[in-house]
This record gives sequence, structure tokens and C-alpha cells, in this order.
Amino acid sequence: MACHKYEIASSRREFLVKTGLGIGTAALAQILTSDALADAGTFAGGLPGSPHFAPKAKRVICLFQSGGPSHLDLLDEKPLLSSRFNEDLPDSVRKGQRITGMVASQPRLALQPSKFSFQPGGKSGARISDLLPSIRAIADDICIIRSLHTEAINHDPAITFFQTGSQQPGRPSIGAWTDYGLGRLNENLPSFVVLISVSIKGGAGQGLLARLWGSGFLPSRHQGVQFRSAGDPVLYLSDPAGMTRKRRRTMLDGLAELNRIQEAESGDPEIETRISQYEMAYRMQTSVPDLVDFSHEPDSVLDLYGKDVKQPGTFAHNCLLARRLAERDVRFIQLYHRDWDHHGDLNGRLPILARDVDQASAGLVKDLKQRGLLDDTLVIWGGEFGRTPYAQGEAKREAYGRDHHGKAFSIWMAGGGIKPGTVYGATDDFGFNVIENPVHIHDLQATLLHCLGIDHTKLTHKFQGRQFRLTDVHGRVVKDILA
Amino acid sequence: MRLPVIEKSVQCSGQIADQVLRTSIALFIVSASCVAGSPPTALDFNRDIRPILSENCFYCHGQDANKRQADLRLDLRDAAIEAEAIIPKDPASSELIKRINTSDPKEQMPPPRSNRHLSTEQKRILEQWIAQGANYEAHWAFVTPKRPIEPAVKHLGWTRNPIDRFVLAKLETEGLSPSVEADRPTLIKRLSIDLVGLPPSPQEVDTFVNDSDPNAYETLVDRLLASPHYGERMALDWLDTARYADSNGFQQDGDTWQWIWRDWVVRALNSDLPFDQFTIWQLAGDLLPDATTDQKVASGFNRNHLLNGEGGAIAEEQRFVNLFDRIDTTATTWLGLTMACAQCHDHKYDPITQRDYYSLLDAFNKVPESGTPQFFSSRIRVAAPFLELPTEEYKTRVAELDLQIAALSPDAKLSADSAFEGWRAGIFADGKPSEGKGLPDPVLTVLRKLDADRSDEEKKSLEAGLRKQFDEKVRPGLVAKLQSIAKHEELKKKLADYRGDQLPRVMIMSDAKERETSILSRGEYLNPIAKVTFATPAFLPPLASDAPKNRLGLAQWLVAPEHPLTSRVQVNRMWQHFFGMGIVKTAEDFGVQSEYPVHGELLDWLAVEFRDHGWSMKAIQRLIVTSATYRQTSRMSLKLRSRDLENRLFARSSRFRMPSLILRDWSLASSSLINPKIGGAPVYPYQPDAIWEALAITKERDFTYPASSDQDLYRRSLYTFWRRTVGPANMFDASNRQTCRVRTSITSTPLHALTTLNDPTWVEAARMLAQQGIKSSPDLNAQLIDVFRRVLTRKPTEIDLAVLRRAYAKQLAIYQADPAGAKLFLGFGASQRDASISLSEHAALSAVCLAILNLDEALTRE
Repeated sequence: MACHKYEIASSRREFLVKTGLGIGTAALAQILTSDALADAGTFAGGLPGSPHFAPKAKRVICLFQSGGPSHLDLLDEKPLLSSRFNEDLPDSVRKGQRITGMVASQPRLALQPSKFSFQPGGKSGARISDLLPSIRAIADDICIIRSLHTEAINHDPAITFFQTGSQQPGRPSIGAWTDYGLGRLNENLPSFVVLISVSIKGGAGQGLLARLWGSGFLPSRHQGVQFRSAGDPVLYLSDPAGMTRKRRRTMLDGLAELNRIQEAESGDPEIETRISQYEMAYRMQTSVPDLVDFSHEPDSVLDLYGKDVKQPGTFAHNCLLARRLAERDVRFIQLYHRDWDHHGDLNGRLPILARDVDQASAGLVKDLKQRGLLDDTLVIWGGEFGRTPYAQGEAKREAYGRDHHGKAFSIWMAGGGIKPGTVYGATDDFGFNVIENPVHIHDLQATLLHCLGIDHTKLTHKFQGRQFRLTDVHGRVVKDILA
Repeated sequence: MRLPVIEKSVQCSGQIADQVLRTSIALFIVSASCVAGSPPTALDFNRDIRPILSENCFYCHGQDANKRQADLRLDLRDAAIEAEAIIPKDPASSELIKRINTSDPKEQMPPPRSNRHLSTEQKRILEQWIAQGANYEAHWAFVTPKRPIEPAVKHLGWTRNPIDRFVLAKLETEGLSPSVEADRPTLIKRLSIDLVGLPPSPQEVDTFVNDSDPNAYETLVDRLLASPHYGERMALDWLDTARYADSNGFQQDGDTWQWIWRDWVVRALNSDLPFDQFTIWQLAGDLLPDATTDQKVASGFNRNHLLNGEGGAIAEEQRFVNLFDRIDTTATTWLGLTMACAQCHDHKYDPITQRDYYSLLDAFNKVPESGTPQFFSSRIRVAAPFLELPTEEYKTRVAELDLQIAALSPDAKLSADSAFEGWRAGIFADGKPSEGKGLPDPVLTVLRKLDADRSDEEKKSLEAGLRKQFDEKVRPGLVAKLQSIAKHEELKKKLADYRGDQLPRVMIMSDAKERETSILSRGEYLNPIAKVTFATPAFLPPLASDAPKNRLGLAQWLVAPEHPLTSRVQVNRMWQHFFGMGIVKTAEDFGVQSEYPVHGELLDWLAVEFRDHGWSMKAIQRLIVTSATYRQTSRMSLKLRSRDLENRLFARSSRFRMPSLILRDWSLASSSLINPKIGGAPVYPYQPDAIWEALAITKERDFTYPASSDQDLYRRSLYTFWRRTVGPANMFDASNRQTCRVRTSITSTPLHALTTLNDPTWVEAARMLAQQGIKSSPDLNAQLIDVFRRVLTRKPTEIDLAVLRRAYAKQLAIYQADPAGAKLFLGFGASQRDASISLSEHAALSAVCLAILNLDEALTRE
């Protein structure tokens, strides 16, 4: 994370000019393009030439539902599963699709209907499950994609694929790419923030991995900063006990004084950067506590998010925090909610998870809208894959579970250049295959970058002799869902 | 000199600022070596032409047949000429030149939609090249290095060894002079950081500074090279390369025993195991005749990858993920090449085919492994093959348990036997045994017969059936009632649990499983298309005819004298260690897309020296650190700052922030907190609360951070437990230890500042440092000098001292007025505070020490 990138670069340039070095444009070009300085933060606004065109969205809030929420019980209604209850999944539908190690030994794949009802929402009439009544109520503000598909069938590779464009670890995450390409909008906060919530009554669910917000081969300053719900919101944010703000100020002043002597001695421009980073750290120590202090939020706003909002670490709390981060122009806000992995007892556990997120997700969209922030904030809601139309174990009307399914699943998006009140793409009657307007994960990533004014084929970084990008060599902007 | 700015200009497009930039870059190239302002030199294919062709043309007109357009190759001279793309000495008729100059978007090359763009200057260079005859040369890094002649220099007196000749010759051509030698306190600080990663004591500094022996510097170098901490310092980079961590890196993130391999690395480096052996052991130690334990352990290099044991994981798919990782890691580490591209298709730039990739993969495909780890305890998950290496402690404990179990066995057996007899008697006494006893039908059938009616066969099966029923169904119920059995069972379980959790099992390589290898269509493990057997890539020197066709052959081939890459790649990494950047900046890539080295001859000289003198890493390192080049000051004059900011010409020493792992060691050592113990199981020093739980899957195991106590808190960072899913919070800018990394970026962020200002590690170190200072003298000046020297080696100047005294006075006033605050501030860490020291003085000096530990100079290797 680098602040003042541009300021530093220009002051360096001024310095060189003012000191009458008379260096040529060419040498200046070298200074301005050297990696050493890029690491010190030369490109304030990200890469030169970015954004590539006028962006619709300035920032992104990704409400990631980790574990694989069942599209068949939430966003993609399939009456056929009910009429053909407990019949075998036809081979003509499965088409040899491989299945996970968990059901590979199961004698049959029996069709499993949802026990939850669906109703139309808003003027657009998109049919959404009774488990998500608040989201259904904002159907006219969102765009549901029912034709997403991914390549992985297990959690780690699938989440890594969603967040980095590759199933294998080692690539930068979306937020790191956007920080690298576009730079920062805020001087006092990190530009890529990660919030992790826990279910009120559910379990902890699948683990998360810090690499999901890592910077891969990009400089590590682009990695996401995890805000924590207990202890310091940012690691090591608090001054040690017994060290007041004033004492810290005194100490930093002495430090800067000695560092400036050293700068004159060594001639190293890095020291200037270091001094400014210590100053930004000092400012963060004020800006972050202010950010997480909800005491001035009126009840009318708190009510939008539901009663969990006051409890740190809940999804509702993090949604309000996400809005406050968006207001402060943090570029990429990544929420994770866990425990959507319902191999069994989906009937019992899915309602708990839906209750965790329904009101707060809708509340966030409404709150952004009423502040005029929704127009330039892209909101994405969804998980790494969907779930199978066949039961894991026996098919039962009331009590059942579903396995992972990557061939087709649903997400929704809102704001930031996305066409509201639409449903895009469709699956077959089993919810197993996409039959209309398929959207691959790379397409979703290309579209996300497009909303931010980035041509996904042009945001590249050379590593190991090759230009890498978020969408690898794939991806297509889904123009039909753009406003 | 070609400057590494061209690649950037290709990415940037569209904006005015960028146009300015590009123009200036063009200007740059016009004057060829404009940094130095010397006259332009003749075109050199590798330096001037290949980078342009590779970046802009080879993607579609290179060696990948699947992507090739218009059946045209520009990577081969004959093919390009035959297609009339190039007509030597006739640029105007050459199709290549016509296409790059046309304004017709349908004809234009590179095509406008390719996001590739040739500058006017690049076009001019290509024309000039064709006019001169369109000479091609093999990529420099793929040709065996020959020892270059040491160049003539004007100021021979400055040079100390051949390295300096190459450096000085270039400087003289560029019209630059080397910098003066750094002062001795700086030199000892620099050497200590680079060679052992621990600060010298003020006495050691004094000894060196006052040593009038002309070999004082060399004596110091030799002492540090012989230090047992040398291996710890040098291991850090190698652990990044080997993607070493202490856990598997997926959902359950089971702990492993790979630290046994890590300890081997430290020992091997300390004993200066020659790099060819270092290579062979790690790639194929298990295949050496009569392989020793160390050789087998060394082969764990290629078992340090991630392991996915997720419930739904398909083992065979994961096995291939691991295989691909081994290829990528091995190729990056020794060849300095990225092979991953060739997993799915022929490499776009380097002459590596998909067949090459899978022919090499065959060497790693014989491991008797499933692809997923096994459960040994809720904590430990490792995958076969592994080596069981019981420690003395383990053996003792197991022997104890065995004894206890043996002691209880007769009693337990007696109890169990008599219980069985009683139960059996009950069955027979019950004239009409009912189903209520839960006996299986076949047993009941026989039991219902009269004894006389039972055949011998039936009698036998009846007894066996009863015994089975008793052992399986009845006996477990008795455990609670019969104490001798209960105790016996409990001990047996205890032994099994102990074995699972505590028997060290280090994962190693083995070729025990015959498997056929196939080329996989698009790299998908379910789509084999053609069988292959082991072979090395065709564009590199061939495998010796008598070499084994397996991993051992591969390892031997890598260190064969004619191999063009291994020696260059390794000396480049060694150079990177001491200068912050390799001679080839792209340490991970020596392929045709890599940067053309400014100091290619120096690199080759070092590579040949390394190869021909027994592959001794210490010898090359000694050569580097005893050079006049290394001994220069790192001070950046305004001239150098404008001419060579990145220090590619080595007109000074480099200046860069220490790795965060060394920063922690430095603060622990300068405050005398450090525990210098070498090797052993990882430890768990201070980390923020709940650092693991928030992310972990907690239902399968307890993820509470098992914080260490006492001396384990102060072990070197190398020994901090590295959980792959959540790395240590206070080790920033580090490799992620998930994939092979041979170059890490050094950045500067506010989060780093927060860490070194607020992490209890540093706060405690500041307190202990202050305590050392206070105990060294009653005089404030002497105290300040003492603590300053412990961290920075040099003595503070009068100005430094004045600033420190002022800072101290301010802090003292604050803490005198706030004793409670002083007490709190001095309360960090487990180490004992000397209660005889005044609270306010101790707190004030601690605050000053914390500032000293955060000085740029304290964080930086100068």
C-alpha cells in the first residue's frame, strides 16, 4: 500500500529539477519507470493510461458467500425437481460431468427438490426464494445472473479461481489487481480491505486462506488488509499501553529528524518514502478507529441492516462497515461470510445462513442508494459454486443435503454500471447445465474490471517472462448486463 | 545499453503523459547507451533485436504451432527468410518491415487489437538490423558460458579481484568512478546482515575497527562464513525457493514435519556442501546408491508443496497439481525458466515444447503417493512416502508406554479370559439361548443343537463365533467395569495417539511406483493424448548417454559442466543476495523474455568460476564480499541518483531494507533477548490474539495459537511456525511460501511501520535494550551511545546525540508525570524487568530505543 505515490514522484522530479542537475528527459524517464521507484510508489493513480475508459464504478463491494450457496434453494427455482422427486439424474443431463470424492461412491444420484417456495419480486418479477425476502424486495435494483459457471469443484481451488482467475495459488487477487492498476483514492486507509464475518448460529464453515486477498507476484503493498472484528481492527494498530498519542507524536518527530539526517547522508530517496509511510501509519491510527465507530449512525440507518448490526464480526456489522469504507473511497471491499457448505441438513442450515445475510445485503444496497453511492459502487453477491440438483445421500422432501456444483449457479450484482431489475442467463430444468447466455468466472472478472474502466486484456503484469492478467487468456465482458 | 524500460512502454497506452514517456524512451535508445552518454554501438541480436521480436511477434509467429498465424515463424532465421518476411540487406522489400510501417489496420503488425505496439525507434532498429544482414544469434543464456577475458581497466589499483575488473571497465566506459570504501562500522554491519543476519556486539565492532592487520576485513569475512548462524541466514532465500512451510495449506491445513528438511538445509549450507551435490541430493538424494538418511531427507525439497486434503478432493487430480508444482519449482530454481506455459501448449517464447514438459514430468511421476495427505492426528497430516525418524525423546516415551502396557497385559488378559469364560458358561447354561444375546444366526443355529449333534467343524466355528462376539460386542462394555482392562486399553490408545502425533515423518521422494506418463491435452489430467518417457528439453545439451533415465539423471544433467543455465542462475541469485538485485534482474526468468544483462560477462565469469572450482557457494560469496565493488559505500551521490538509481552498474554498494525476518532477529539480538539455539521443531512466538481461528476450519481441529513460552519466544524468525494459510503476522513482504519464489519485493507501507512500532516483539526488545544501556553506565550519554551502537554498530554523531538527548528529556518528563503509564509501557513481553531501575528512566529510554529500532538506518542494509 503506498500513499502519496504521485506526490512523491513529482516532488522527486521537482527536486531533481530544482537541484539543477540538468538531467535529460531520458534519464528522467528511467527514474520514473524503474521498478525500484514503482515499488516505492511512483504511480499514484496506478498504471499510466489507467483507467482505459470512463469508469461506471469507482469502487467494489464483494459480498462473498463462501462454501457454495445452493442456487436451487435461493435464486434459481426448479419445479421439475419436485415433479421428478427421487428419480435418477438422467445421464443425458449429467453428460459425464465428474463428481466430487464425497459422492463418488454413492450408488445413485437422486433428484432433490427444494423445500422452499419462490415468489416474484418487484416490478421485474424475478422469482426468489422465501429465504431471501429482503433481497426479493429489491429485485428491481439488482441483476441476477443464473448462468455462472466455474471450472473447480472443491472449495479452495474454486474460491481461488473466483478471486484470482486461477485455481492454483500464486496469482494476485482481484482487489490487488485493481489497486495495482488504478491506485488509491484515499490517503488514510488501505485501498483493499477484507472483512470476515461469522454466522450468528451457524458453524465456522470452510476455512479461508490469506492468499485469497494476496498480491501474488505483484508487490506486496497491493495485498488486501484484513480488518479484524476483535482486538485491533488492523494488526498492530494500537499504540502500546503507556504510549499516548502525544508521546507517539514526540517519538515520531525525533525519528523523522534523525531519518532526515540519514537521508542527507545516504542520498537515498527511499527514506523520504519511509518517513511518509510512518506518517500515514500515524494517521491510520486515528482514521481507522473513527471508521469503526458506529455511534453516530442513526437508528433509521442501523435498522436497514437488521439487529445484528451492532455486534462486531456479524455480516450485518460488516455490511455497514463496508458502506463506511465505500464512503471513504476505499477501492475494493471484500466481505466473506462462511458456512454455506450444506452437504447435509441444508433444510436446517440454509435458513440460518440466509437470515444472517438477507436483510443486511439488501440494507446495504438501499443505504448506498439513498446516499447516491450505488451509482458508482459495484456490489456483487455470490459464492464459489452452486449445489447439485441431486441429493448427497438419500433424497428426502424435508431433510436433505446437496454436493458442490460448478457447472451452473447464480449470483447477483447491483449498482456501478450494472443494469438493474434484470435476470440474465438460464439453466436447464434440472439447474444442472447452463442453456442460455453462459457467464464464466473469467467473464465475470472481465465485466467487473470493465465497470471500473479497465480493459481486462490490458491490465497486465510481466512475471517470469510473460504478461499475466486476471482473466488469463480468457474472459469476455458481459455487455448485456451493463446499464 | 538496453534499458529495461521498453517492456513498460508496451503496456502503457493512450495518454499524453505516456506519449511523453515513450518519446523519452525513444530518445533514450537513439543514444544507445544514453545513461552513460557514450557513442552508439553496433546492433547485437540478443541485446537489441530479440527483446523486440519476442515481446511483439513471437506470440503468433514463434514456436507454438497451435497459436501460429499465417504459418510464419520469426524465431528462426531460415523460416523468416523463406517466407520473405525478412530479406537480408533489403529492408524495403522485407514483408516484416512493410507490415510494421503500414497504416492499414488490416495489414498492420503487431495487429492493433493485440495491445502490442512498436515505437518508431524500435521500427528503425529492426530496419537497420535487416539492412545489416538480419543476423540471428542463439539466446545467450542457452549457450554454455565460457570464461570471459578480464577486461583492461585504467585504474587497476582500485581492483581487488576479477569481479572489480568487469565492474570498473563498465564504469570507465560510462564515464563513472567507483565510490569510496565504506567505513568499518558500516562494513561490519553490512557483512553481519548479509552473512549471518545478527548484529555484532560493540566489542566485535571495536575489534574490527581497531584491527590494523591488512587482512582484518578478510579475517572478519572468514569468521562470519564459519559461523553456525551463516547457514540460518542463507537458508531463508532457499526456503522461499523451496516453498517451505510447516503446514499443508488447505482447509485442514495439517502440520507437517518438513522442518527436518529445513534443518538439513542449514547444516548443508554451514558445511558448504558443493552446489552440485546440494542439487543432486535435493532432487534425487533417495536414488543415490546406499542413500544416507541425510540424502533421503534432502529429497524432501520436492515434497514441500501444498497438499489438499479437502473432503471432496479427487486424489488423482491433486496428484497432478503436485506434479505440476514440482516441475515449475525445479525449472524456476535450476533452469531459471518458466515451464508452466508448456503444461497446456508449446511455450510461446522459449523453445520448450509441451512434449518437453511431460517428458520431464515423467521423472517426478513415479512417487508412490495418492495426491492427498493422510490423517495421523488432528494436528498432523502428511502424505506417503515419508521417512520415520524417531527422536531419542520419542523412543524413550514409546519404550515407557510399551513397558507399562506389557506390565498390564497379563492382568488384562486374565481378566478378559475369565470374563469370557463366565460369559460363555452363561450362554451354555441358558439351555435355550435366545436371540436376545445378539448372537449372529449361524452361531445360534449351532448353539441350538445338542452338543452330541455338533460336528467337529461346527464345534470349532461355534467357539470362534463366541470369541468374536465377546471381543467385539461384550468386551468393550466390560472395559468400564474391569479396571485392569480399562487401564490396558487406555494405555494402548495413548500409545497409538502418541505415535500419530509425535513420530517425526518427513516427506521424501521415491520412485517406487511404476507409472506411464502422457502428454495431457490442455494440461487436463483426464485427457492424456500421447505417451512419453523421460527426456530433457531438446534445446539444451543432451543427457549423457550413460545417465540414468530418471530424477537422478535429471539432477546430474543440471550440474553437468556444459549446462548453460544452472551455474548462471545460481550465481545470479547469490549476487542478488548481496546487491538486492541480480545481474539478471529477472532472477526467475533467464528465457528469451528475460532482461538482457548489462553485466553479462561478469555473470559468465562468476558462473564459470563457480562451476570449475567445485561449486563452492562459500567461495563465490567470499569472492563477492571481498571485492572492492562490494566494499564501496552505498551512499547515493546526486550524480548516481540521476544516472543509475537502481545501481545496475555497481558504482556504489546497494542500500535496501532488510528482510522482515532479519529485522526481528536484529531487534532480538541487539537487545540480548535472542535465543541462539540452532535447529529443531518450529516455535510459536508472539502473534496477535486469534490470528488463526478467524480464518480456520475449526470443527476438525483446535486452531488456537499454541503460544510458546520462555526461551522459545526468542528463537530466530527462521524457526517461527509458518502456517501456510495464515503466515506470521509480523513477517511482512515475505514470500507466501506457497509457490516457488526466487525474488521478493521490498516495499514500504504504513502497515510495516505499525508492526515495528507496536508489535510486542519490538516493544519488549526496546525495553530490554534500554535495560542493557542503563546497566552499562550511570551516564545518559554513555547509555545512549551504548544502545545506539548495539543496533546501528556505529557511534552516534554529536547531532544524533543531541536529538536523542532531547527526545529522552521529553519522554522522561512525560513518564515522570505518569508512573502508571511508565509501568504499562514496560509491561510488554515475558522477559524480566530489572526492578532496581527507575520506572520513568527506563520507560523514557525504552521509548528512545523503540525509535532507534525504527530508524531507517536500523531497518536498512547499507
